[in-house]
Amino acid sequence: MEIVDRSVNDEARRHAQDEALAALVDQYAGSLYRVAFSVLRNPTDAEDAVQEAFLRVLRHRETLGEIRDHRVWLIRIVWNIVLDRKRRAKTRPETDDVSELTRVLPATGLSAEQRAAAAQHHAYVLKCVDKLPAREREVMILSAFEELTSVEIAAVLGVTESSVRSRLFRARNLMAELLDHRRSIK
Amino acid sequence: MNPSKEDDSYRIRGVEGAEETLRLFATVPIPQGLEDRVKAGLKAPQTGRVLYWPSMPLSSRGWMKSAAARAAAAAAIVFVVAGGGWGVYSRVQPAQSPKVIAMPQRVNTPGGFSNAGAMRTPQTLNGPVLARPLTTAPKQGETGVTVVPIQKKSQSDKATARKKAPAKADPR
Repeated sequence: MEIVDRSVNDEARRHAQDEALAALVDQYAGSLYRVAFSVLRNPTDAEDAVQEAFLRVLRHRETLGEIRDHRVWLIRIVWNIVLDRKRRAKTRPETDDVSELTRVLPATGLSAEQRAAAAQHHAYVLKCVDKLPAREREVMILSAFEELTSVEIAAVLGVTESSVRSRLFRARNLMAELLDHRRSIK
Repeated sequence: MNPSKEDDSYRIRGVEGAEETLRLFATVPIPQGLEDRVKAGLKAPQTGRVLYWPSMPLSSRGWMKSAAARAAAAAAIVFVVAGGGWGVYSRVQPAQSPKVIAMPQRVNTPGGFSNAGAMRTPQTLNGPVLARPLTTAPKQGETGVTVVPIQKKSQSDKATARKKAPAKADPR
């Protein structure tokens, strides 16, 4: 009789965990997709990364109750996944192609020529971002997410807030140098 | 305007432009039905297993839901299968390998080296090697063979032999 009670309790607990997981998907799948896309720059790969992140959560759903900030925790999971994938993939991201960027990025109210010019500019900026050192690049990409504070970025990267700020400062200087180099060539 | 200040403002504008690009990536539109697809993907591993474990009548009592019981049952199955396989393997005699090894026939490929018609002869066995060279002839008593010295013929014997011999035909 005791075994039956325990199994019923297990079922109920599992059902509650599934409900909580579904709520997390509804709430944060979009944010995770954008984080993944900012690194992978490929819609399909980004969606796969989100899927994998939630599968990892599913495997550790017993610990869901112990997590304080689910958003930062999930972003950290998907961040590690996309960095791992990026490290393994030796090919260039699909959206470095200018025409692909024109299709993916929102450009409302622009003419066709303006969109093409904007896409070329974005492609060049992304190349410059790729030239940054890994630490500076990661901070710069995450700082573009307005919903993430420097404290949260520090939590995602597993560093202190002061190092996030110093890395961001260095990243901006390096970006300015890279863009300046382009102007001098022109 | 001071050129350095102009440069600074350009640099700042450039960095702001780059950050604007990254911000565009951070606000990229989310694909339609992303949440539904993720949820469907989460349900898939729970139902679609590689090996489906059917629910047994005893599973309602709960003992089969234990991971340890399932692992023990699986281990027992693996043990039986592996033991049976080993029993069959240990009874089968391995086929004897042939004593004569067929050498592959050499094919003279065009462009390679030819044997120039030379035939390979097997090496004969060398005889026993003597430690010291043989210098003295063996004694007669030891070998049992009587050695008769050849006597030289005299001039008169040769002449009588010519008379007795029949006349040979002239080769010319």
